[in-house]
Amino acid sequence: MTSTLNPTRSSSAAKKPAHGNRAVPPRKSAITPRKSGLLTALMVCVAAYFLLPLIWLAFAATKSDTGLFTSFGFAFASDGFKLFDNIASVFAYQDGVFLKWLGNTALYAGVGAIGATLLATAAGYAFAKYEFPGRKALFSVLLGSIMVPLTALAVPTYLLFSGMQLTNTMWAVILPSIISPFGAYLMRVYAADAVDTSLMESARIDGAGELRIFWQIGLRLLAPGIVTVFLFAVVATWNNYFLPLIMLNNGDLFPLTVGLAQWQATSTSGGGGGGGAMFSMVITGSFVSIIPLIFLFLYLQRYWQSGLAAGSVKG
Amino acid sequence: MKNSISSRMRTLGALALAGTLALTGCAAGAAGPGNGSASEQKYTEEDIQAALKKPTTITYWQWTPGIEKQAKLFQEKYPEITVNVVNVGQGPDEYAKLRTAIKAGKGAPDLAMIEYQFLDSFTVNGSLVDLTAFGAAESKDKYPEWLWSQVDRGKGIYGFPSNAGPMANLYRKDIYDAAGVTTPPATWTEFADAAAKIRETGSYIMTLPGNNAGQTIGYFWQAGAKPFGFDGDKTITVNLDSPEVQKVTDNFQDLLDKGLVDNSNDFTDSWFQGIANGKYASWLTAAWGPVFLDSGTAANTAGSWRVAPLPQWDASKPRSANWGGNGTSIVKGSANPLVAYAFARFLNEDPVSTKMLAFEQSQFPATIAQQEAPDFASNTVPFFGDQEINRVFLDSSAQIDTGFQWLPIMDFVFQSYNETYGKAIADGTNLRAGLTAWQKAIVEYATTQGFTVK
Repeated sequence: MTSTLNPTRSSSAAKKPAHGNRAVPPRKSAITPRKSGLLTALMVCVAAYFLLPLIWLAFAATKSDTGLFTSFGFAFASDGFKLFDNIASVFAYQDGVFLKWLGNTALYAGVGAIGATLLATAAGYAFAKYEFPGRKALFSVLLGSIMVPLTALAVPTYLLFSGMQLTNTMWAVILPSIISPFGAYLMRVYAADAVDTSLMESARIDGAGELRIFWQIGLRLLAPGIVTVFLFAVVATWNNYFLPLIMLNNGDLFPLTVGLAQWQATSTSGGGGGGGAMFSMVITGSFVSIIPLIFLFLYLQRYWQSGLAAGSVKG
Repeated sequence: MKNSISSRMRTLGALALAGTLALTGCAAGAAGPGNGSASEQKYTEEDIQAALKKPTTITYWQWTPGIEKQAKLFQEKYPEITVNVVNVGQGPDEYAKLRTAIKAGKGAPDLAMIEYQFLDSFTVNGSLVDLTAFGAAESKDKYPEWLWSQVDRGKGIYGFPSNAGPMANLYRKDIYDAAGVTTPPATWTEFADAAAKIRETGSYIMTLPGNNAGQTIGYFWQAGAKPFGFDGDKTITVNLDSPEVQKVTDNFQDLLDKGLVDNSNDFTDSWFQGIANGKYASWLTAAWGPVFLDSGTAANTAGSWRVAPLPQWDASKPRSANWGGNGTSIVKGSANPLVAYAFARFLNEDPVSTKMLAFEQSQFPATIAQQEAPDFASNTVPFFGDQEINRVFLDSSAQIDTGFQWLPIMDFVFQSYNETYGKAIADGTNLRAGLTAWQKAIVEYATTQGFTVK
């Protein structure tokens, strides 16, 4: 995730160093000499750290329950390739409840991310391009709220929503998800460089209103940043566990994270009555649940790169 | 919200019909024990049947996969009724949500699945409906005596038993045979001998997990201990230093000291691996245990498992214990206690439903009728070498002490187990000291909670 971000930041930093945004740390990497054995080794380690669990997951998804407990993690099990059996049982279990969870996750992540992106873009753009009273104070609040982890906010948010009778509804997950302080911060940094103030001025002279400048000029110039924020927001909501866990009681509203955790709980606690081991389903379910994210990244990466290129030409 | 809508609908229906029957039915529903007003009020079977003829939606919180099927059956039988089966989490997760909802006064379900050992933690503050007023006492003879005593707490009947967990010894016959243990140990003395022989083959006879208070309490129960007592009001007894508990503790201390039993936690990845790769030759578990093995985690060992009774303290007076299991209770505040009662009874007593519980939801059934049904009792399981394993569990059930009680603070008891007795197991320190610390922690906590400890 960090690696997708760096080019955006460093390119904007390289383009206009005069703006002097203090909050662009990866500038160093742009000036580092190309060859560095140490850095390469470090990156290989980091890549391994991030990729090995995924590779393990891919192997594990092909195993039966027995295979999981009798074979090496990074090899296929001897009792056969069970990926398709596993996928079939994941989707068939409890009348296809997994599909419902998948749909919920897509809905929460989709609506949440679109909302988060819109709000963050508008906010970041305003912070970057307009002088207004309280700008500094508001921005400090924004920065401060980045420091507060979402998990810490979950319980206060629950109490608020409970007061509004919104708990155990889709809105309880969607509404908190459309607030993305980090996205707004990112858009502010990006908009400061990507949207030329003189371009806005000439648009004003041509008689365009501020909203129109934002919609027709700003948004286009900001496209690469928007895609980045969108990706972040999708991933954050897709993987969010604690918020839906405390907000939702109804299994029909669960996203994948909470649903899969419920399956896992069934597998690892005896005495509660009911259930049994379903590890292969939990693992295959997890595997299936990350596939849409991988495709989203691969697909949006194109836009994101072309956007970068377009920006550099216009710059 | 759902409650207010349905009661409004009922009022509307009653007005539209303007029939005396409907009106009295409505009035009875409104003044039910759910509102806590008329506790002496008795309901007849006619009241229940009348309630089932009115459009009603009830909600059942539970976590057994597949109970929707029974709900569907119930709805087919009573087309006016809708049963929402909701899984809000397993065990403690559900209890936390239930307590929150009860405290908030809204959002609680009509029915909840509650494990026997946690029932008192809900009855102590009056969160559950006493089913005596509905005629639940008639169900007494449908369940084994010890099991009924788990829901009939003297002060009231707080649920229908759904399933049980009589304990037995699941063991690997091939490993036993290889170690020269030809018959499963009948006593704890034989168990120690068998443990030594099996240890020589490289396997452990079993693990004594430091993370599973339920199992440990099962061992106490089997030894005839009565570690807990609750008068249903404000007085509790904690007897973790009784001779019976000490006997169990010293036995395990001995086995642990000699390195004959492992002390790893259970239900972890490495534990499942240990089951599958022969690290453990036995699992002393409850009747719900087999499904964790034969559903696939240990498929490579299928056919080499068998089930035997627990090792005994006194072979001439065989005793057993229960571990786990749960019932269906009605939550106070339910707007439709009559319908909820009818569903709880149907779920746990209807022959079709209990058969589903036994065969589709893999539970050890609670009713005597289902336990003794020929297809259940003599069901042969290929994983266990075609043994009729349910017969072993049925014999076990018949040997369970009926007087075992729980505390209204079992959440704390389980939690502090992990920090005292369980920690002593895991760290290899003195179990007696762990026991003393556990007893002390429980007494202190109970006192701060306003209980009188005798």
